[in-house]
Amino acid sequence: MPILLPTTVVGSYSVPEWLERLKTDFYRKRLSAAHLADVHDVAVKAAIKDQELAGIDIVSDGELRRDNDVDYLLARMPGVRATTTVKSYYFDYYDLVVATPLTEQPVGLAEDFRFTREHTDKPIKFSFTGPFSLSRRVRDEVYGDRAELVRALARALNAEARDLVGAGVTMLQIDEPFLAGYPEQVALAVEAINIVTAGVEATWGLHVCYGNRYARPSWEGHYSFLFPTVLEARVDQLILEFARKGDEDLPAIAELGWDRALGLGVLDVKSEDVESRDQVAMRISRALEVIDADKLIVNPDCGLRHVSPPVARAKLRAMVEGAAMVRNRLLGRSEELVSAGDPAS
Amino acid sequence: MLVDIRPVARLRGKTPVDVATPLTAVLEALRDGTADLSRVRVVCDWIQYKENFREVVDVRQTAPGSPDQELEVAVDLRRAGDCDVADLTRRLMTQNGSPDAPDRVWLEGWLPGSKGCIWAFNRLYWQALHLWERATGRGYESALPGGASDARNEAAVRELVSDLFRIWDDLSERRALPEELYVVELGVGNGNQAKAWLDEFRVMDQAHGRDYYRRLHYLMCDYSPHVLDIARKTVAGHGEHVSSLVLDATTPTTVLGFLRYKVFLVYVSNVYDNLPCDEVVNIGGRAYCVETRAFLPEAEAAEIAATASTATTDLPALIHKLLQIGPELVAEAMPTQFTDVDAAVEFWRRCWQSLRRAERFVPMPGLDSYQITSSLSGEMLRPLLDAHGDLRINVNNGAVASFVDTLPLLHPYGRLVCHDLFITDVEQSRTGFRGPGKYDGSVVNWVNGPLLAHIGSRKGIDVRYAPFAHRKGTSIVTMTAQVRD
Repeated sequence: MPILLPTTVVGSYSVPEWLERLKTDFYRKRLSAAHLADVHDVAVKAAIKDQELAGIDIVSDGELRRDNDVDYLLARMPGVRATTTVKSYYFDYYDLVVATPLTEQPVGLAEDFRFTREHTDKPIKFSFTGPFSLSRRVRDEVYGDRAELVRALARALNAEARDLVGAGVTMLQIDEPFLAGYPEQVALAVEAINIVTAGVEATWGLHVCYGNRYARPSWEGHYSFLFPTVLEARVDQLILEFARKGDEDLPAIAELGWDRALGLGVLDVKSEDVESRDQVAMRISRALEVIDADKLIVNPDCGLRHVSPPVARAKLRAMVEGAAMVRNRLLGRSEELVSAGDPAS
Repeated sequence: MLVDIRPVARLRGKTPVDVATPLTAVLEALRDGTADLSRVRVVCDWIQYKENFREVVDVRQTAPGSPDQELEVAVDLRRAGDCDVADLTRRLMTQNGSPDAPDRVWLEGWLPGSKGCIWAFNRLYWQALHLWERATGRGYESALPGGASDARNEAAVRELVSDLFRIWDDLSERRALPEELYVVELGVGNGNQAKAWLDEFRVMDQAHGRDYYRRLHYLMCDYSPHVLDIARKTVAGHGEHVSSLVLDATTPTTVLGFLRYKVFLVYVSNVYDNLPCDEVVNIGGRAYCVETRAFLPEAEAAEIAATASTATTDLPALIHKLLQIGPELVAEAMPTQFTDVDAAVEFWRRCWQSLRRAERFVPMPGLDSYQITSSLSGEMLRPLLDAHGDLRINVNNGAVASFVDTLPLLHPYGRLVCHDLFITDVEQSRTGFRGPGKYDGSVVNWVNGPLLAHIGSRKGIDVRYAPFAHRKGTSIVTMTAQVRD
């Protein structure tokens, strides 16, 4: 039976300072690739455990193997070349070039999913950056037309998605953190998203935020720019940030015809201030004024990468408890919480 | 024994500095003593500030009280010719390097540099600036090199405003320009910079024809209400567009949090060099915190105490009282010591003039156990310390705190522009004295530019330095910080 107001995560989980240092040490040749892989395994297991302890319903691997939202995927695509593999800081972007036509050869994200699957019994969501955003971080020496590059990236991601589903993935999320900076290109982004999702049997989410690089927004604006084009996207969920921005855009999203599931951002991932469960419950309740409860998913605005691990854990707990309060109310039960994550269904 | 001669640029040229004489004197004094010479370093500096906190010769303990204890003998080459260096060294070494010399009146215990009372003096200067200026008969700006702040330079203002117009035009075309356009100045002085900026902005906006002036909000921020009062009068002609806010420059978001990601320009001029600062020294691959202890030379302390009808032993408490409540209240509260406010100000000025700091180097158990600010660990220092061998650097805790807490205010297309005394290369710390010194009644200190650049890079911010372009021969450097990627 599906969970009412399921809680989940978005993007990267909190990256501890020690992990940042070790990742950077790898680029400075102070840590071997094998040791870094071990470090990543440990970090991913800890991230999964943190989510489970917080009571998150749908978990992820925290994307802790990824240096940032681009390189882990894009730099491994056949056809893409990094002009240098040296970084002074692990989080920096590579300078990437599409040097030969992209192939539809998966880069192996399925292995990451299998590792996650081995370490949790919870439902898993697997995310990757979408073709439009990837295209903004790579120089093109092949296609000569940015739209063609975006479509080629989409085809490569479609192959990746098929491979992931073959490995057992049932929930996939496309992240488009750069889209809000190019509102005039929504049509191209949506066309590419439909290429990615074509023929891939999974529950698809689309995450659009205003950027979270170094815990800063890259752009400002309103989600109305997505409409009506986004209605053509073959996705099941739209996952948006509302905690930091405020929820003024919420009624418009409903009015503009979005009748599928909505991932409601209830945690401000750019602030170390921990929301209270009451705050979270209030945010969910306001959303319920315009969205049906069975279409609402509860999540942070974006990845918790830039907040400290204790803050990330506290925020997740608050989110789970806030969601449980509203869920209990909807089900006619006492709002009193038995424990964090009380998974009413 | 290691001998470190730092001001190498002064060893040549028309009037090369004489190193041999003071160095020989130090070596002879050391030879005559009993210290283990294999555990002694001699450091020769050139203290550029005529008024400073250093004696001509200092002896510092490294890892005091531990089996690894070593000594550093520091000589100021600029003043070494004026005194008997050998005798000074001998006297300090007879206490086996302990700086607890009897001819000093200590004002505090050992503390990291940023916690020392020189910063309380500095704070008092800005809080009671009007009294200091009345006593000296000149405004603080006349104490600056050239007698004026670079902040008022019209060409520099035009450059800043032009950059803003370019960004705003671009955002406007993409329908992404907010209705309200915020500019923040931290540390406004007498308001002359704000006036120059706003005057120029209004003229340029008229020529530009986009009516940005109508949407402009200029926020003048300072921790001195007195300074803000003066500044407000200076910019009276721009009344509707200017607000003034009392804030601590090290924590701007406590007051300006409502402007998170909304400010297009944060302007800071000659503030960072005036904020509390620790120093860290790297010796032989080990990092030490430079702890300091303020004192007055006993003879001068006795004279100052006499002017306040106080015993020398009571002088530290009287000074701390002054630092706590300021000259006006201390004069009112202690009429036996001070006949009036002017007497209290004179007492303050004499204490400041005589103020010195002893130093010692205390091992740091690990860089991560040291906090640069409440949110930044000493790990941020590692790239600087690891890559440059034996080195002494300013941590500029106050400047770092201000910088880090200002970044969240910046709009995605905003920038932080700062004119100050920046070190732009770590090597500059190895080859020259970088503070602190005294500047009128305040502290002046070089700001560790590479550290800010490194911290900025870890927060997705590009930090660039360029010599101040609009006045030749100035030491002022322009720092520009803006979002990368």
